[in-house]
Amino acid sequence: MSDIIFLDRINKFYGSEVVFQVLFDINLSIKSGQFTAIIGPSGSGKSTLLNIIGLLETPTSGKVFLDGLDTSRLNKDELAACRNEKTGFIFQFHYLLPEFTALENILIPYWIGKGRPPGKVVDRALHLMKRIGIEQLGGKYPNQLSGGQQQRVAIARSLINNPKIIFADEPTGNLDSKTSNMVMELLKEIVSENNTTLVMVTHDRDIAAGADRTIEIVDGRINFDSAHTY
Amino acid sequence: MRFNSYEFMIARRFLVSGRSQTVLIILGIAIGVAVQVFLISLMDGLQRNLIQRTIGSSPHVTIAPPLSSPQPLGIGGGAIDDYQRPLKTEESEILSWQRYSDYLGSFEEITVAAPMINGNGYIEKGRSSFPVLIKGITLPEADVIYKFNKNTVSGDPRPGGNSVLIGVASSEKSGLKVGDSFYLRNQKGTGDYFSIKGIFDLGSSAANNMVVMSLDRARNFLDITGISSIEIQVHDVFAADDLAEKLRASLNQVKVESWQEKNQELLSGLQAQDTSSAMIQFFVLLSITLGIASVLAIVAIQKSRQLGILKAMGTNDKSAARIFIIQGFSMGFVGALIGILLGLGMTSLFMFGTKSSGGPTYELKITLTNILLPALLALLSASLASLVPARRAAGLNPMEVIRNE
Repeated sequence: MSDIIFLDRINKFYGSEVVFQVLFDINLSIKSGQFTAIIGPSGSGKSTLLNIIGLLETPTSGKVFLDGLDTSRLNKDELAACRNEKTGFIFQFHYLLPEFTALENILIPYWIGKGRPPGKVVDRALHLMKRIGIEQLGGKYPNQLSGGQQQRVAIARSLINNPKIIFADEPTGNLDSKTSNMVMELLKEIVSENNTTLVMVTHDRDIAAGADRTIEIVDGRINFDSAHTY
Repeated sequence: MRFNSYEFMIARRFLVSGRSQTVLIILGIAIGVAVQVFLISLMDGLQRNLIQRTIGSSPHVTIAPPLSSPQPLGIGGGAIDDYQRPLKTEESEILSWQRYSDYLGSFEEITVAAPMINGNGYIEKGRSSFPVLIKGITLPEADVIYKFNKNTVSGDPRPGGNSVLIGVASSEKSGLKVGDSFYLRNQKGTGDYFSIKGIFDLGSSAANNMVVMSLDRARNFLDITGISSIEIQVHDVFAADDLAEKLRASLNQVKVESWQEKNQELLSGLQAQDTSSAMIQFFVLLSITLGIASVLAIVAIQKSRQLGILKAMGTNDKSAARIFIIQGFSMGFVGALIGILLGLGMTSLFMFGTKSSGGPTYELKITLTNILLPALLALLSASLASLVPARRAAGLNPMEVIRNE
């Protein structure tokens, strides 16, 4: 399996007057199709790391390679296009657009990248919805859905463009444990069905235990990496 | 700038979801446009009415011999004076007027070019005498300018021989009626008896103080060989200036004067009115623009969460900006459309109102320009106003939104 994500000496500083370093020389490579869990205490920098890999933030120094592409060479528009094409995001909060129905929300990433979705793509969205058990909710608006349903819509949305990598930041952090387990199972199943790489930040040791690889970040450094203990 | 279809979709949803704001903005634009359409039509109608009244029954361009206005005598034989002196024969009359008439006939913009004889005289009645202007005319040319046909209040509008028309002012002063005969004295002291065939009202006191007779009779009465002036009316009264300029370039022995030159005060009055209405329009537009800009800025803040999400999913900065420009443009478009209808409604209501109340009626001038100009300006301001939130949307970092939670 090839490396779909490769981080080369990532440093991240925040602040201009009081400079605060969040990440220290992170080197990391993640293989395609793997489920990687990033764990660590609050403020350890794990979310920042995820956002940098997901191209939502730029590192202060160092390079992020996604699917062989050196993203440090991309301008802002190209980064946005790359996010749209190669990645899917699932956040702790669903971040669905309240003005749009569940089905429309799922289709928006496609629409942003390629224009009005053709019937084939709509069918795919419907198929995804069916797969995760929300097929009857397509016409509902986000505020008409339960937390678990909202997060499932968000999962379907992250998958619509067939991304190579899905980034998830505490996707079940806002759900009760039963719903949480259900969403987690579903996510893992779908990801493995589509051979998608999943990188997830989580607090939950149980979820991390189900991952192919666990990386622990403490104080901006990799403290533990299960890949190196094999 | 290339628009993506999802930008329209999102802009539309944002507009629909912020219904009350959208309606308020559109209403603001509509009222602004309506007021402007009404105001411009009113001003335009008023001005045209004023101009029509001032010059409708008078020449737009007058060709006269140069000495018909006071000039330096040119005595002393200076070279410059000699150069400026017209040919002696053209000094106080236009002798070769047929040639001028033929030449003027070649201009398409000229409706009519009427030869005129002008002079001063006195109506003698008993021991009193009343100064009058004597005007010799040809029909039907003069009728195009003075519309005696329409403006004759009693009697017959066609003078001939010793039958003349007099203005209402002269008639009132001298007490003469249609059918009366009177003694008219010219400046040289000689005179003749004339009978009144008709009495006219041209709307201005100077014109109503005229005695109008046929050209030949006037020539004979005033002892003139040629004519005193050629009076011209044109299709577009505002083009009179240009025509005068053209004629001046080709006719160098006569004085050419447009109504604009004779009515400087009226024109500067109208200009002041134009300036003030332009200022009103400017401030109406400014307040529309500021209103839209501030409301849209609030919308941009309200929607920053959605924008952050869209950006996280791959919407770029320009695209985010366009979503707001589309919103501004759409509201401007709808607002302008409603504004036009509202403005037309106000205008026709006003016309109906003034007509039914019996007040002085004048037509409000509804032209395509009067309608489209304010609408286009409002559309432009709405689009400009949307640049404020568009900039904010473009500069928004998705992490601000996602981390805030």
